[in-house]
Formats: sequence, C-alpha cells, structure tokens
Amino acid sequence: MPSRHRVGIVRFPGTNCDLDTWEAVSLIPELEPVWISHKDRQGSDLSAIVLPGGFSYGDYLRTGIIAARSPVMDMVGSFAESGLPVLGICNGFQILVEAGILPGTLLPNSGRTFLCQEEALVMENCRTPFTTLFVPGTPLTLPIAHQEGRFFIDPDQLQEIEKKGQVLLRYLNNPNGSEREIAGLANGAGNVVGLMPHPERRVRSLFGRPDGLAFFRSLALHLDRQKLRTVETAP
Amino acid sequence: MTAVPTSRFRIPAPEMERIRTLLGRDPNLTEEAVFSALWSEHCSYKSSRIHLRKFSSKGPRVLMGPGENAGVVRVTSRTGIAFKMESHNHPSYIEPFQGAATGVGGILRDIFAMGARPVALTNSLVFGSLRQPRQMTLFRRVVAGIAAYGNAIGVPTVGGEVWFDERYSKNILVNAFALGVVDEDGIMSAVPPPKPLLAVYLGNKTGRDGVSGAAMASRSFTGGDTDLRPQVQVADPFVGKKVMEATLRIIREGLAGAIQDMGAAGLTSSSVEMASKASLGIEIDVERVPLRDPSMEPWEVLLSESQERMLLLVEESRVERILAIASDSQVSAAVVGRIITDPVFRVRKGEAVFAEIPVPFLTEEAPCYDRPARDRALPLSPTAHHAPSEAGRHSIAELFHRLLDHPNGGAADWISRQFDFEVGTRTLLPPGHDVAVVDLREEERAVAISMAGFSHPLTRDPGLGAMLLVAKCVTDLAAVGSWPVGMTDCLNFGNPERPETMSDFIQAVEGIAEASRRLGIPVVSGNVSFYNETDGLSIPPTPILATCGLLSSRRRVVPGKTTRPGLSLALVGSSTDLSLGGSYLDWILEDPEPGSVPLVDWETLGRLQPFMSAILADGRICASRAIGRGGLLRTLLQLVSGDATLGVALSLPRLEDPLETFFSEAPGRILLAFEPDQLRTLEETALEFRIPFQRVGSTAPRLWTIRYRDREGRVKELTDNLEQLKRRYAVSLAGQMEDLP
Repeated sequence: MPSRHRVGIVRFPGTNCDLDTWEAVSLIPELEPVWISHKDRQGSDLSAIVLPGGFSYGDYLRTGIIAARSPVMDMVGSFAESGLPVLGICNGFQILVEAGILPGTLLPNSGRTFLCQEEALVMENCRTPFTTLFVPGTPLTLPIAHQEGRFFIDPDQLQEIEKKGQVLLRYLNNPNGSEREIAGLANGAGNVVGLMPHPERRVRSLFGRPDGLAFFRSLALHLDRQKLRTVETAP
Repeated sequence: MTAVPTSRFRIPAPEMERIRTLLGRDPNLTEEAVFSALWSEHCSYKSSRIHLRKFSSKGPRVLMGPGENAGVVRVTSRTGIAFKMESHNHPSYIEPFQGAATGVGGILRDIFAMGARPVALTNSLVFGSLRQPRQMTLFRRVVAGIAAYGNAIGVPTVGGEVWFDERYSKNILVNAFALGVVDEDGIMSAVPPPKPLLAVYLGNKTGRDGVSGAAMASRSFTGGDTDLRPQVQVADPFVGKKVMEATLRIIREGLAGAIQDMGAAGLTSSSVEMASKASLGIEIDVERVPLRDPSMEPWEVLLSESQERMLLLVEESRVERILAIASDSQVSAAVVGRIITDPVFRVRKGEAVFAEIPVPFLTEEAPCYDRPARDRALPLSPTAHHAPSEAGRHSIAELFHRLLDHPNGGAADWISRQFDFEVGTRTLLPPGHDVAVVDLREEERAVAISMAGFSHPLTRDPGLGAMLLVAKCVTDLAAVGSWPVGMTDCLNFGNPERPETMSDFIQAVEGIAEASRRLGIPVVSGNVSFYNETDGLSIPPTPILATCGLLSSRRRVVPGKTTRPGLSLALVGSSTDLSLGGSYLDWILEDPEPGSVPLVDWETLGRLQPFMSAILADGRICASRAIGRGGLLRTLLQLVSGDATLGVALSLPRLEDPLETFFSEAPGRILLAFEPDQLRTLEETALEFRIPFQRVGSTAPRLWTIRYRDREGRVKELTDNLEQLKRRYAVSLAGQMEDLP
C-alpha cells in the first residue's frame, strides 16, 4: 500500500479548529494528518502544512501576531520558501500575513462585530495545490467566522497581486469590507494559500453543500502528481 | 451582649446572631467573610431550598443529578450529556461585556468539571426596551461578551432567545446554558472518595476581581450602586481554554478524585462544598494560592471570584503528574491544602490560623427559610412599552404587522451571526430553526436543545404559565422528532423577602415540577437567581428552561424552514384550548382584562412525539416547526424564511375565533411542510396516533394569501405583500442595532 502524504496540522495555544481540520484531512484517503506543536522547530517528512483557525494566544495584542513569532513559524517559513504547500485558514491566514509569508493584512470587520455566516464566493485562481480541482469562475458557498477578516493592502501591492493572479477567492456580497472582495489569497509562487472562509467546515453532506472538500482533495491530487513527477525524474 | 451585631459583609443581623450562637463566639473577619459567601442566597439557596425539593431528578437515564457541577443523562450505550444553565444577571447589568463573558466561562467550567467536553452553548437574554440607549448598550455588549468567550474557547453557541420588555430595564437577565459530551466511565464528580486527599489549585492566578460577587448577586440593587464594579469578574477565554484542556486531560488520565470549579465564592465554596459532601474537613493555606497581588488579605483570597480556576482533590501520588500537565498547558497550579478528618474548614496563612469553622455550620446549618408567600391582589405592573391600544379594533393584518415590527417579533440573526455556531462541526441545526441540534458522533445520534423563557404567561398565571413553558419545550423537541431526556432551569425572580414574589416562585416551581413529572422529564440541574429587583421594583417571574431531547438518527434531522414552493402545509396537534392569555399578542396589546392562559392537552401532547418520530423516520417531512411566539402567522413566515421569495397560500375552514387561530401560542401544535403526495399517508398515520391533522395550504412563490370563513360563514381573505412582510421580520431587531452613526 502506498504511503500517505503527511499533512502537518499546527496547534498553537488557543487554536480551536484543529480537530475539525484533522477530520477534514482524514477524510481524504491519500492524506495522513499529523500534529505539529507550536514549539516544534522541524517537522519530519511533511508534504504539506495547515494552520487551522481559532484564537491563537487569545488574539492578544493583535490577532495572529504572537503565533507568528513562535518557534514553529521558522519551520513553516522555510517550508513555504522551499515551495511546499502551506494552507492557513482564518486565524491561520492571519498568522501567515503577520509572519510576512503572505502579503497584506487582516483588519477588524467593517461592521466591527464577529460574523458567522455562509458566504457565496467565486473561485478565481485554480493553480495552487489547494485549488487544482476547481474551474476558474466556480461559484461556491463556505462559512466565515471571524472578527478580523477585512483584507487590506496598499494600492501598489494590490495591483501587483491582482496582476499576478494571486487572488484565489472573492466574496459575492462583501461581508467585512475587504479590498476587492478578497476572501482568499496565494503567495507569488502559488504554494502558500490563506483563506478567511472555512473549507474544513463543509466536508460532509449532512447540511449544506460540501464545497470545502475539494480543497483537501486538490491537495491530495497535487501531492500525488508531485510524487509521480519525482519518481519519473529519478534516474 | 447588648449591641446588635453588625456585619462588615452585609450579613443580616439575625443571621449574625445565629453565627455567634453556632460558634459560641464572635467570628473574626475572615470567618465572617466565609459565612457571608456561603450563607448568601446565591450559594445557600436559603429561600428556595425547601421548594426545589419538589423537582424530580430521577429517571432511568440520569447518571448524575443535582449536587454535582452539572447533571448528566445517558444518551447512547456508553456516553452521557452533561448540561446546566446559570444566570449572570447582576454582573451583566454592572459590566455587560465581562458579566456575560464570565457567565459563559462559568457554565463551561461546570461542564468540563464533570469530565465532559463542551460541545454547545445557548443563552437566554432579557433586556429593557431598546428605545433606551442604556439598554441598547447593555444588549450590544452582552452579545459581544458571549461571543468573545464562546468563539475564542471554541465552543459553538448554537441557539438562544431574546426578549425586550420595559420591566427588565433595571434588571436584565443573562442566562447561559452549556452542554458537554462525556464517556460514562469518564464522569468526574464533586464528591471526593474517602481517602486522604490534597487540594490542588489549577488555573488563573487569584486577583481582587469579583471579591464578594456571590453576596452582591444576593441582594437588590439600589440607586447608588456605582461602587460595585470591582465585584464583577474578568474573563479570559484563552486561559479558560488552557484550563479546560488541562482539566479534561487530568480527568482522562484518571488523576483526580473530585473536581469543582471555583465559581461563586471561589475557593471558599469549592473547598467547603466538596469537603461537606464527603462529611470531612478541609484545610487551605492561602499562602500557597497563586496570587496576582501578594498583598491580598486571606479573606480576599477566599472570596475572590477570579475566573478560569478549578479546585481538584487528588491523591498525593498524582500531584506530580498534575503539576506537569499544568506546566505543559501553561497554567498555574499548586497544592493549596488538604482534606482532614476533623470536619472543620481551617484557613491558614503559613502557620497562622485565620479561620476555623465546623463545615456543617457553613452548609447544613446555613439558614433555610420558608418565606411567607401571598398571592398578588393586583395583576403585575403594566408592561408600558406602548401607549395602551384599543384591542379588537385592529385588523388581523395590522396586528400581525405590530407583532413583526417589535424587536421581539423580528429575526434574531443580528445576534446569532456574532456567535461562532459551527466550530467543532457538530452543529446540525444552527440558529434560525426552532431548536438547535448537535451531532453526538456516536451511534448516529444527535441531541436537540430547546429553550423556553417567555415570562408573559407567568405574569398572567405563574403556575399555568410555568407548565406552558415545559409543554413548549416538549413541542419544540417533538418538531424535530426528538424525545425529552432531561431538563435544567434557571429561576429568575425578584426579592424573595416579598411575599408576592415568593408566591410567584412557589407556583412556578410547582408548575414546572408537575409538568415535568407528567411528561417524565427529570430536572437534573438548575440555578435560582433571586433579588432581580431595583429600587423596590421586581422583574416579572421568569423561569428559563432548557430541555434536551434525543434524536435516534442524525440523518433525519428536519429543518425549521424550507426553500421549496409547492409543498403542502398541515397543522398537527391539539387545538382544544387556543386562549390568548399570556401570548405575545396579549403582551403587545396589554389587554387590561386578559383572556386565560391556555390549558395544556397533556394526553395529545404525550402522543405528539411518537407521531413525529414515526413520520420523520420515514423521511416524509421537508420542514417542521412548532407554533411559537406570535402564533400561526409568524410561525408560517419563519417556515418560509429559507428563501426570500417564498410565501404561502392558505385556505382555512370557518373560524370561530380568527384571532385565536392566527395568534394563539398554545403549545402542542406543529406546522409541517411536505410533498403533496405524502398527504394520505400522513393523514393515516395521524389517525393511527390520534393526532388531530389539518391540511392548511401550500408554500407558494411570491404569495402571502390566507383565505378563511368568519363566524358568519363569509369568505375573508388576508393578502399581504410578501416582500414587505419579510422585510419587517428581517429589520425589526437588526434595523435598530445597525443604525449607528
């Protein structure tokens, strides 16, 4: 039996979507979730890393900022730099921007309250490891649950990320005042992805459409292809 | 002795006398502080104890009943649900954000102290009229406080209710309910085993916040209560989460003998109550308590209600491992005392003894009052939220608009979207349905939670009104096909020293006790909040109930709203008494001579649940909703709220009393939506279960038409602009909250 791809799920004190993310990853037969502690400086044999949502360090000081400076983030940084897949969901996204791994910043929602609701979204960039199974322009519905999700970036950088096609997902009815309705974003290389909506909350069909599952399936497909390529190019 | 003993902790003079008699001497400062906390209404239930015995907590499923941190009821072959509700009314009025947040934190600690992982929160909120800016602020900040705690700790807030009523302006109600899941063999208790045990403190360091909070919550407010802010505790959900994970781990590893959270009266009540349950004594050394401020006096340490703290009684051999877990979880922990065979509560600071009180003096010997009760001669004060109206002169459409236009009749989305209701991904029915349903992830089962706290029927008749609340819960649960397995309550009342309040209280308790006994629902936990009174004015009697129901198949959960046109609609259940007394319409109209409160048809109600289970098991129903606040019309509007353009076309027979048909909230009736070809089977099943079944119409796109014949047989038609109705419903609460400068 071929070994499964190990997907590291990072837990900071205060992370609370860890178990949901673990379950979502477990649903994909090709993926094997493994816990990563905020204290870990290296992950062995990981194929991808996911930073789940929650309130790391109680959102103290500023959301994501303390977690962005914890030991594990050095590892996540070099992992990302080497081109391997990294996904940050909600607070994970906030941590990635605070760590400078993704551009921009996430400000308090324009309505100043926490928002937990379903959002209609449009998928734009399907070239990342987490979105290969989507077709550009695909409409999808995912829940959001955040108080600081208003994506902001200076105009020059905004132009740049738009030009490079780094915008992954946009809201149809901008709930939080994000620049250009941006709900999800990739880095320049396309291997690091941040999402404010929660794909891990829509992986079953008990209620609502399981639109989140394709993100994890995409990852499995991407990793399978990578492996195949490695095998092919091996002497 | 000639001088009347006065107390520095506001202990009433007769109780001070009693303390002197018991001790045979004057209590010192620390001892007096301890008495003030444990003899407070909040801790001792001195005015309610003799009445609460009327509740039955027995049942084949009950694993843990009253006396524990929370009740536990078996729901699968190997798991139980632990649940409880508590009030945080007084603190929330003084500091709404922290008051509400600590209310959530406190109820969660009660749940995980039992070894249960919390999986759902709900709340019941009652405020004064939103026309007052102060109420607007209180409401906004209470919602934000609940959100801040629940969202951060990662427990979904899956449902709740809200009510605005002038009579609560000086005493808002913030009641929080929590539910957790626990393996039957992993249930923790607050009753220690008879072994030599050490007392281990776990969690946040102790500060001066919340000192004497229990005593504060045990008296009425007066005009000059500006000095109470320091008695409100401060929440820290981040530490709360770390304490929760550490506690659950300690329980999972079997390291603790007994656990109690440090809630009201903090270290004092948790240590004394656990020792008392084992008929033992306990010694606490305040010098070893982790402190934020080392200058704190022993009595302050004892009475502090700093949040996120647990007290564990453990065998000495386990201490090392517990301290290691605490350190790994980054929370403070320390051995602060020990169980002693001599049944005394001894407080030391190093070698010096600061208090020594026999434990029974603090618990069994605490005052227990059978306070005088006297029925009200006059009805309760008018609601005064509107100028008196001329009932009867309004058309049905106008009345319906009035019900929708008041924030009490509007959609509560503005509240629920501030709560993360999905974290944990167990939420099968989120807010916006009648009940919340949470996946148990075991044996395909799920649990439904129904909240009922509408006080208006009780202002009309406390006893019958309380029974209505129980019947409402059971109807709500039946609507999703669940059967009730347990109930918890929070009894919010005014000043028990007033005979009228006491009379309301006794009648309400008896009503709940009788109704729950009739339906076989054990009352497994509960809480009493007295002294909801300011400047002599008490709130109306407001018991708030939360009833848990069990669903045998999580895949058959039926929603409370639909998006589909062309479905048939039917009303099932008993319509023998549709009196309007105590209804939302009655409240809006402030009828000076109200109708009676409807009597519950218990017989039919008892058959409703099996009937609903039968038809839901066959998957015949697309949506179902109990007739609730506002009666049939408002419930219809909620049923079609799944889609912006979906309405209804109803055709009803001759109506004796159209007002009753459209606005009665008599429990025991459920509105069903189903494919038209199911009609015959459903009618047959209803006949078999002897459940009245009445087809009323269909869901229809862009329509709101209701045809009926009046008493004289004339055809009447109620047609309304659907878009406007939906808008009224959507904005009546949210519109007020979003119009900020």
